[in-house]
Amino acid sequence: MNENPILLVEDNAHEEALTIRALKRANIANEVIVARDGVEALEHLFGRSGTVYFPDEGPALILLDLKIPKLGGLEVLRRIRDDEALKLVPLVVLTSSAQEADLIESYRRGANSYIRKPTDFDQFSVAIRELGKYWLVLNEPPPALPSGKRS
Amino acid sequence: MTQVAERAGDDTRAALNILEDFAAEMARQAQMHRAIVNILDDAAGERVLLEHERTRLRLSEQVVTNMLEDFADDKNQLVQAQRAMLNLLEDFAATQARADTALVLRETVERLREAQKVAEAANAELDAFSYSAAHDLRAPLRVIDGYSQALSEDFGEHLEVEGRAYLANIRASVRSMTDLIEGLLTLARVTRGSLRLQPVDLSVLARQVVDRLRYLSPERHVNVVMPDGIVAIADRRLILVVLDNLLENAWKFTANRAVANIEFGRRVVDDRMTYFVRDDGAGFEMEFVDKLFGVFQRLHAASEFEGTGIGLATVKRIVRRHGGNIWAEGAVGRGATFSFTIGEEVVA
Repeated sequence: MNENPILLVEDNAHEEALTIRALKRANIANEVIVARDGVEALEHLFGRSGTVYFPDEGPALILLDLKIPKLGGLEVLRRIRDDEALKLVPLVVLTSSAQEADLIESYRRGANSYIRKPTDFDQFSVAIRELGKYWLVLNEPPPALPSGKRS
Repeated sequence: MTQVAERAGDDTRAALNILEDFAAEMARQAQMHRAIVNILDDAAGERVLLEHERTRLRLSEQVVTNMLEDFADDKNQLVQAQRAMLNLLEDFAATQARADTALVLRETVERLREAQKVAEAANAELDAFSYSAAHDLRAPLRVIDGYSQALSEDFGEHLEVEGRAYLANIRASVRSMTDLIEGLLTLARVTRGSLRLQPVDLSVLARQVVDRLRYLSPERHVNVVMPDGIVAIADRRLILVVLDNLLENAWKFTANRAVANIEFGRRVVDDRMTYFVRDDGAGFEMEFVDKLFGVFQRLHAASEFEGTGIGLATVKRIVRRHGGNIWAEGAVGRGATFSFTIGEEVVA
């Protein structure tokens, strides 16, 4: 079990609360660090916010919404995959968009998975539970890459 | 164009006048020639004497004949020249017409380009709208549903039965709203993008739809008649939306039948291949048939039959995009038949 914190990039506070609730109810105990926009997400990841939230190997999992303020999700995704240390961190796009272009672009830029948030909360809870179980418990994470490369 | 034709007419008339003048002159010459010959005949007695003269005259007759022939040649040449001129004029007129047509074409193309730009802008706007509708409208719904769920999970024991029913109602409404948004998005999507036409096995698609409907409501008794191998040239993704809607409707509006009958098939109507979905369900009043295909138009109360009122409007748009038509026939309590054509599919 990867016990590093999860990074949740989500601008809607209610959705954030419900996502965290769903994670807790699925017995996922990892700390959840929240970023409300693209810039904040990069600051958290690259330590510019003055606080180091994650160990060198990065978060255990990144849950990334695409439609977020300041810097879009796809751009955040590109910057993450451009970084040597974060290249391999499991990243799941978790969004309302069902646009084919978003799907293609997300995978092209190296997303590991793409989940369209269901409106139905039961289905949403199931999705979050399965996501957590798969990426944090079942999945074998990539080994930590040489540190100090995050820029 | 008209001016050119008039000019051509004037030129032709002038040429004809010249020819008429030539003809009159030739007639005069022939008359003169005949008069000379007569005089010569009268002086037959003096034939010998006049033999030399006569030979000379015959010679001049020959000369006159030659001259006349020359005139005839000239006339032919003139006629030919006239023809050539007419051809030239016609070519000129045709060229002019081409130039005019080219101008009209250029203007039309220009206008089409403008229209395309406007359409592209509208499409881009629609894309942005769809994107927002997908994201911004769904997010609050998820939150409403989420908190309703959280409330019943975390505080359910503090609520009376009635309170829990209220929460269930909230969640049911969220589902309706979700369907509505999905329906509108589909409606917006079917009008955009180009059609990818290819042979599509409608029987296979229809069977998939029916299988799904059976899976979702296994308690229903529905006889479905559907021949194999109904193939049409259509956009697969869009025609599936058509079959999905029509078969789902047939399924929905036969819900009150203990045993329902649904048929999907094709037949020839007015030499055109026509596809149909028929059921023996609730039907509708023919008086309101025009309302069937309008957006948000519903002929049944939501409490009686659920629905968004978008499905048939979407179906109609798809059929129209394929160059076909759709119409419905029905009677209250006696079922409905929805028929549609695809493109200009004519039965030989």
